[in-house]
Amino acid sequence: MTPLATLRTLAQAVAAAFMALMFLTFVLQIAVRYLARVEGLAQAVPLFDPSRYGWTLEFCLLLWVWLVFWGNAFVVRPRDHVTFDILYLAVRPSVRRWFAIIAGLAICIGLIVSIGPTWEKFHILRLKKTATLSQVFGDWIRMRDIYSVYFLFLAVVGARYGWAVWRAFRHGVDDPEHGA
Amino acid sequence: MTFEFAICLAVMFGLAGIGAPIAYAILIGAFAYLAAAGQGIGIAGKVLMDGMYNSFILLAVPLFIVAANIMNAGTISDRLLSFCVALVGRFRGGLGHVNVVASLIFSGMSGSAVADAAGIGKIIIQMMTKTGQYPRGYAAAITAASATIGPIIPPSIPMVLYALVSNTSIGYLFLGGIVPGLIMGVVLMAMNAVLARRRGFALEAPVPLAELPRRTANAFPALLMPAILLYGIYGGVTTPTEAAAVAAFYALVLSALFYRALSLRALFDILVDSARSSAAVGLVIGGALILNYVVASENIPGLLAVHLTGLDVSPVGFMLGVMLVLLVLGCVLDATTIILVIIPLFLPAARELGIDLVHFGVVAVINCMIGLITPPYGILLFVINAVTRIPLSEIIGEIWPFLGVLLIALLWLALAPGVVLWLPRMFGYAGG
Repeated sequence: MTPLATLRTLAQAVAAAFMALMFLTFVLQIAVRYLARVEGLAQAVPLFDPSRYGWTLEFCLLLWVWLVFWGNAFVVRPRDHVTFDILYLAVRPSVRRWFAIIAGLAICIGLIVSIGPTWEKFHILRLKKTATLSQVFGDWIRMRDIYSVYFLFLAVVGARYGWAVWRAFRHGVDDPEHGA
Repeated sequence: MTFEFAICLAVMFGLAGIGAPIAYAILIGAFAYLAAAGQGIGIAGKVLMDGMYNSFILLAVPLFIVAANIMNAGTISDRLLSFCVALVGRFRGGLGHVNVVASLIFSGMSGSAVADAAGIGKIIIQMMTKTGQYPRGYAAAITAASATIGPIIPPSIPMVLYALVSNTSIGYLFLGGIVPGLIMGVVLMAMNAVLARRRGFALEAPVPLAELPRRTANAFPALLMPAILLYGIYGGVTTPTEAAAVAAFYALVLSALFYRALSLRALFDILVDSARSSAAVGLVIGGALILNYVVASENIPGLLAVHLTGLDVSPVGFMLGVMLVLLVLGCVLDATTIILVIIPLFLPAARELGIDLVHFGVVAVINCMIGLITPPYGILLFVINAVTRIPLSEIIGEIWPFLGVLLIALLWLALAPGVVLWLPRMFGYAGG
């Protein structure tokens, strides 16, 4: 495998792991709630004590946010996006190329430019504690750590569209095909 | 309309119009709005992240996607299908009926029309066209039409999204979808029976009745799924979001342990695929959250409500008007975008006019699903075209009668709130 393909598989494995973890956390949450009804179980086996599992809900939300932004940064392909492509498909290839360049430039510049102001906006969140996640990660975790994946998303997607614009500029765009 | 909002719309529609992903078009449009209004574009990220991180209900979306993908990958769909063939395959137009019944059952599990069409739909189209009993366009058209039932009968991803923007109870929305879903199934089967008789489609060799018990037993664990889900939600055992996890877990256990039809490698691919679709949908949801912030700061829904009540529109007139707008938009936009972006605009007006929001939501979702098969631009038509290679023109040529009966059913449901709300009221819904 080329280094790029290896990295892509790795990124996919991370996304798959988020998905699987979210799923398992849900199952755990339901199981714990029902086990809590069994008299005396929590006293006998401390592992089943429901008060240990207050974090499951917020943990799933964390996974969801990371899944979305990690996924869009590394796993989602251009054709996976919801697009309105009637016009894009109808025009001549030379015009289509300019469509791709203009749209790509707007996205690239917009996302990259927003990194600074967003960082300032999130600055205050370095102090804000999470509701329950200290139970899982320890006391250091703050809301900004959780939201940090958004910056990864802005930078990576911005770079990806920059690269796509460069390619469209140099080589033109591929013939589109209606995929599922 | 303020100047900055005009800029926002221009940027958004401009970018989306030239083929940029809708989610990014909204994001950049919101940046333009905030910059023009002098608010600082960092707010967009804050609104987006806070919204995503506080909407517990949204977690149902990735989980339902996983559940549907697992069922498509295992042999669950095949077993259901062979059960349906034994059940209704003996009548004229039998495989057409099988198609509808399979969609009705399958929709009790998947929550996504595209998953229905791409999974069970693909198999059944092959069955229908294998020996040339049915024109391939007809097979594809009835598959597309019956797949629209998927998100009407619970569970349903579009209804989760509607619950998010309208603050209605997802449990009552799910209940409200059951009767309309069955009605849609009935009208499609009726149309299929008429067409099969008129065009003289060949009869299938009937499956001996003695076969029925064995096929039922074979499909039984899969048939249990809708029952488990509904019991979980309405018996108070799980929240609707948790029910999505239970559905995925049950599908996994069935495929991997019971039917032994799922390898580790296949599971990995399912997880990656599900993550990919969830992320793409999630970004549109995020975009919609920002757009709703912009629209709310401009007080657009309030203005629209004042305007409409000023016009003295009757509730029925409003309902029909909205349906017309949604149908037209459905020809060019996908269901997710319509539900998250367009429908919130109408909600205050609907509330003002005394329209029940559960009724409104169910009808609006049906509307969006019919939009998925309305030519020229229907996602379901494209999906079936992509997975079967049946030309779009042939599918579109055959879709009209099915589209027609679905529209009649929609009209009835829109004008008769009692039909939609009957089941929710049985379970204690007080509104409407």
